[in-house]
Amino acid sequence: MSQICIRVKDLVKTYKDLTALNRISFDVRAGEILGILGPNGSGKTTTLKSILGIIEFDEGSIEVNGISVKRQRKEILKNVGAILEGARNIYWHLSPRENLTYFAGIRGIPDKAISERADYLLESLELSDVADKEIRQFSSGMKQKCALACAFIYNPSILLLDEPTLGLDVEISRTIRDWLLNIVEEEGKTILITSHNMDFIESICERILIIRRGEIISHETVKSLKEKFARKYFRMDLEREPQSRLLDEISTLGNVSASGCSIKVELETVNHLIPLMKILHEADTKLLDFHTVENDLEDIFLEVIREETE
Amino acid sequence: MKMLHLMAAEGKMLYWTLRRYLFNTLMGFGVMFLIFMGMFWGIKTIGGTGVTGDSLDSMLVGYVLWVSAMLALQNTGTEITSESQRGTLEQLYLSPMGADKIFFVKAVMNMVFNFIFITAMLYISMAATGRWMNINLLYLYAMVLLSTLSLVGISFMMGGIGLIHKRIGSVNGILSFGLIGLMFLPTFPITPYAFLPFVAGAATVRNGIVRGHVYPVWWYLFIAGNSLLYLVLGLMIFSKMEKKARRLNKMGQY
Repeated sequence: MSQICIRVKDLVKTYKDLTALNRISFDVRAGEILGILGPNGSGKTTTLKSILGIIEFDEGSIEVNGISVKRQRKEILKNVGAILEGARNIYWHLSPRENLTYFAGIRGIPDKAISERADYLLESLELSDVADKEIRQFSSGMKQKCALACAFIYNPSILLLDEPTLGLDVEISRTIRDWLLNIVEEEGKTILITSHNMDFIESICERILIIRRGEIISHETVKSLKEKFARKYFRMDLEREPQSRLLDEISTLGNVSASGCSIKVELETVNHLIPLMKILHEADTKLLDFHTVENDLEDIFLEVIREETE
Repeated sequence: MKMLHLMAAEGKMLYWTLRRYLFNTLMGFGVMFLIFMGMFWGIKTIGGTGVTGDSLDSMLVGYVLWVSAMLALQNTGTEITSESQRGTLEQLYLSPMGADKIFFVKAVMNMVFNFIFITAMLYISMAATGRWMNINLLYLYAMVLLSTLSLVGISFMMGGIGLIHKRIGSVNGILSFGLIGLMFLPTFPITPYAFLPFVAGAATVRNGIVRGHVYPVWWYLFIAGNSLLYLVLGLMIFSKMEKKARRLNKMGQY
């Protein structure tokens, strides 16, 4: 069993009448990437900022490498990097290299000590060609890569990343995912990450926490979560968008959801497949494609949240 | 040693920013040059050739005091507002050096850069007009730096308020106006005004350089004590407000 890097115990944070965090507890082990999922306002960012000491919590305790955040915040920060506001975390009027030099400098680290690391980060994030250009001109993805490089420049062993793929396209998200996986493997970093991008979280994290209204409602490995909530659906692509009457009829056989010309049906029994075909036939709807699909992390997340609400 | 690296980083940041916004930098130079030329030619035109260097010295000292005081007074509050608007404020709080040290170094480096510009402009203006002054710039800058530390303290208080309320431009404006009056109050030998921030230092610089007054050592120690007191007070209030901002989760919001 790996050593515990971050230990959060009975964390409580309230703002007047609002309970942002209600006795949440979890551990992060060295070398793992732990994902935090939750709807907007669920307490994900508050949790990260509490670990960094940017938000002062009311009750409970947080230890990073055995050091208390409340008592020795500055000591903890020597070994922790973070991205909290995405690409806004860096200076857009400077170049990537100038940003790297500055963020190392305000930690008391001289240029010489980070020059090799800066070259490595710029190279691995494919920023070498634009290393001396003004960030303002960059795309969102490139800005986000610069923010990542700045968080990693002083080689912290723990990284807290709040929505690192927010607003990025699939290609850049995948590049960032691969880069993070690579650096975790090569340098043994520990990462705590929040995201709304379920594919990203599923592909990068072994364990995930699901937070809702400041409470942890699920804390499992992605694998066990998927096993627990395993469902099979039938997905059908129709010639035209289904009318609500057709969807109502199908819903008598099981849960149904529609997206454009595609419908997803979870039948109560496989025997309902014949009546389903009959309904489609009677509605004079041409079926273009038909296949079974397993529920993905997004479905599971919504189900967990829904279960808790009920 | 870490403090030196922090100073180097802030110095570079200032240089990079001046270089990036070159047009604004050149305009700033231009305005400063016009002010200096205005001082030199204005005095010459009004007073004719019979005017001694005192009037010019007095104006120059007044100008340096005024610009430095404004810079010291508004620096931390303005920095906090702009870092907060950009979204980089929280990153400064992630430095183990501490945000208070970073903002203090920012203030000092701004002052040093300001001295460099003033000196450059002064020599350019003297060369352009052929009128050479005899001012001990080292004494002037050392005294200005020492006495404006008290204003840096006030600026930290304002910065602390800025962490919570974000926009503090109007308060800064009021303080700046108040400062004009403060600069001309009598302080020596000790009057109640001498206990206000910056007042004793400003009067000493003006009288020392322009009128050649000589002050006892204890007076300089008094000025240093005054500055230190306001600086420590400012840092304490900043720390309290920072704690409150952390409690209210106001650090990253604008």
